Amino acid sequence: MKTEKLKGKDLINVGIFSAIYFVIIMAIAMLGYIPIMMPLLCVIGPVLCGIPFMLFMTKVKKFGMILIMSIIMGIMMMLTGMGWYALVVGAVSGLIAELIYRGGKYASSKLAIVSYGVFSTWMWGNFLPLFFNPDGYFSTRQSFGQEYIESLTNLMPMWMCPTLLVTCFVFGVVGGLLGKALLKKHFKKAGIA
Amino acid sequence: MIEIQNASFRYANSDSGVLDEITLHIKGGECVLLCGKSGCGKTTFTRLINGLIPHYYEGEMSGNVTVSGLDVTKTELYETARLVGSVFQNPRSQFFCVDTTSEIAFGCENLGLPVSEVESRIQKSANELDMVELLGRNIFKLSGGEKQKVACASVSAVQPEVFVLDEPTSNLDIDAIEDLKRTLLLWKSQGKTIIIAEHRLYWLKEICDRVIYMDKGKISFDISMCDFTAFSDEKIRSLGLRTLCSDHLRIAAKIPVAETMELQNYHFSYQQKDALCIDSLALPVGGVIAVIGHNGAGKSTFSRCLCGLEKKFKGKVSFDGVQYTRKTMLKKCYMVMQDVNHQLFCESVEDEVCLGMDEDNEKDVSGILSGLGLAELSERHPMSLSGGQKQRVAIASAILAGKEILIFDEPTSGLDFEHMEQTARLLSSFAGRKTLFVITHDPELIVRCCTHILHLEEGTVLEQYPLTNENKARFTGFFKV
Amino acid sequence: MRGSFLQVSTEHRGLVFDPRTKLLLLITMSTFVLGGIAGEKLSFLLPCFCVLPFVLLLTARKYKTAALYFILYTGSYLLNLLATPHLTGFPAFLVLGCAGILTRFMPSMMLAVYVVSSMTVSEFTAAMQRLHLSEKIIIPMSVMFRFFPTVADEFSSINAAMKMRGIAFGGKNAGKMLEYRLIPLMTCTVKIGDELSAAALTRGLGGTVKRTNVCKIGFHAQDVIAILFCAGCFGFLILDVAGVL
Repeated sequence: MKTEKLKGKDLINVGIFSAIYFVIIMAIAMLGYIPIMMPLLCVIGPVLCGIPFMLFMTKVKKFGMILIMSIIMGIMMMLTGMGWYALVVGAVSGLIAELIYRGGKYASSKLAIVSYGVFSTWMWGNFLPLFFNPDGYFSTRQSFGQEYIESLTNLMPMWMCPTLLVTCFVFGVVGGLLGKALLKKHFKKAGIA
Repeated sequence: MIEIQNASFRYANSDSGVLDEITLHIKGGECVLLCGKSGCGKTTFTRLINGLIPHYYEGEMSGNVTVSGLDVTKTELYETARLVGSVFQNPRSQFFCVDTTSEIAFGCENLGLPVSEVESRIQKSANELDMVELLGRNIFKLSGGEKQKVACASVSAVQPEVFVLDEPTSNLDIDAIEDLKRTLLLWKSQGKTIIIAEHRLYWLKEICDRVIYMDKGKISFDISMCDFTAFSDEKIRSLGLRTLCSDHLRIAAKIPVAETMELQNYHFSYQQKDALCIDSLALPVGGVIAVIGHNGAGKSTFSRCLCGLEKKFKGKVSFDGVQYTRKTMLKKCYMVMQDVNHQLFCESVEDEVCLGMDEDNEKDVSGILSGLGLAELSERHPMSLSGGQKQRVAIASAILAGKEILIFDEPTSGLDFEHMEQTARLLSSFAGRKTLFVITHDPELIVRCCTHILHLEEGTVLEQYPLTNENKARFTGFFKV
Repeated sequence: MRGSFLQVSTEHRGLVFDPRTKLLLLITMSTFVLGGIAGEKLSFLLPCFCVLPFVLLLTARKYKTAALYFILYTGSYLLNLLATPHLTGFPAFLVLGCAGILTRFMPSMMLAVYVVSSMTVSEFTAAMQRLHLSEKIIIPMSVMFRFFPTVADEFSSINAAMKMRGIAFGGKNAGKMLEYRLIPLMTCTVKIGDELSAAALTRGLGGTVKRTNVCKIGFHAQDVIAILFCAGCFGFLILDVAGVL
């Protein structure tokens, strides 16, 4: 595989899989309406999305496709009011994921799984503002009393920050394995992978 | 205008649609019909002209293709796009934008034309195609015919010299075909070159001047339309082609049906708009009922209600003295969808047909599979089968699930004569045993297998009659054939 | 329209902002409210931000959504205020956690609802083009917006098929539900995608010339006010960080 420029077909593929991926993310995010469930999104999201993503990986042959999808997810998060944090994280994680998969010349399925794990960490970006500068935020809420501030810090204690990052990655790998298995079971036989 | 020399092509992952040493010359302003059985290579041929082969579809290619001096095989697709415009089979999948105006602008935007020019071209093609009222609309809310019109306008706005159409009427009803015919006549009057690959032939008699019949990747004959229309009915049929005119429709003998089922209170509305409004309706049990009507007549709402798919639907069906509600109808009915891919879930044909099966039917599995010619395929993945095979898998699963009413949504869209006849035989084999509803725009299918006609218009029953030779005029009147 | 993300037609719109202004508002909002960057000295900005989505929803004539936002936000704010002195332990954790996260995320989410419900796909694409984003991002995004309704359509067809086959949640099929839904969904969508690629390429997508865009967007008086507001907020922030305030 020589590195070529991305063509129309590749860009359309990125678009289609972004659509499937985002629809699934949004369906899961409905769970997030119950705020306590939010951390669970880092588990269910990467696992379920592994299925379309591994199919996407079979179409990725040129540099940039994973990175673009990652950036698109970031932009979409901005449009859904989750801020620009996922965009920043996604740009970095997408690039790393891209480089990992490219390391195997876009053909190694093991690297595809690892790459997907890394890709999944963009979701972690959505949680960043919760850890981001909590002092500044809580200082504006002094009126609520110390108890309130403690409750909130207990809900999202600092150690959760790296934990969520690792969770995203680990369950991304799980999702990758699941996607890989289904790929073998269905899409290879059906001739679309 | 178009010069093809010794062109051969073979797809990288498929054996059908091969082209074998095609040499052809098409003059500017000519209008050429490509016909032949499925898999004869006519779609492949159109792809040769618009450059999708070899630039999009992979495979082995040899020979030369030039369109007004431009070597298509060596030119990038976006260059060819200025010269050749394409309209495809499926109106659902060929648009890029979500609103009609952007869609018509799309081709011109890709060429980088200045905004004022693009705007005037949008107006011009909308006027010419008589679709100004469709501007600024949501494409997803348009009917298939309207979508195809937008596709034509979009291609027209680029103002190419050559138009290539690949089975453009597969998913269209009669009125939409009339519209498309007007569009083609307009292009023809502008002196454009038109190449059209089609199964349905009757509407092209006044449009095309030249007919090319292909067989197994070769050109069998290349004659004028005059000579072609002189062909006898038998000759057309032996070539595996669809009929050219209505006199050739012969109604097959039918099994008489005695029992009836009664549909009551078939009322349904979407967003305060009445989509279906039938108080009561008696239908023959064991009949093969063709459901006809224009787009928006309520055919699909009717079938969804019959199947029990609409949650808010209150209508009932009674036969044999028993009344069935929505939920029980859901157990009795099965719809074979236009896109069968929606209803195949498992990893092998056998698993597929056994899923959701009535347990009493377990021993019948192999019998039913072989009855439908699926016995050798039982280990295959359903998605890897051909369209007709998939359809039969869906039918097998419905029979094993003990369904008594089968509904077919456009079972022959895009099928050639041979496959259409196969489907017709399959459907008539159920007559008397199951009650079949066939939603279709295909008069040739109806005369071959249907016993009754149910004509819906604006959500109500316009007429309902058994299909006999006496009633033939009513039926052909609707199809204008 | 079910399943679409941005809007398609421009009917029933009130005050129109340029899409770029809307994006700037989103960024400002998520920086100050969601990110909680506004420190003690800038706390006077917070109420402005909380009222902003409400006002904008009103200008876009989304009265129901505006009312919903008002009720939810004041509700959780009051809950915080009134329940805090009386609760301890796990209930406090639960109530305050929910209410706390809600008050923090709601303004930003509702602003997003406003943006998404008042912007068309072509406006968004035009805005991205004017912001000089690469075609390599704009094209996939256009395809994605076009595919949302398709994915929803396909999904509802598959659901109907499953109902007719009697495959439902529960029973021995429970584990397979997802597989049965996702696999046909992906097969069908990819097939449509292949056809779309072919159609788009024959209409010149991917050329070397710079694409034009017929969608008209531009800044008006209301945009200037909004941009000045955002600039003001960031100005205060810089002053605060620099220690001037």
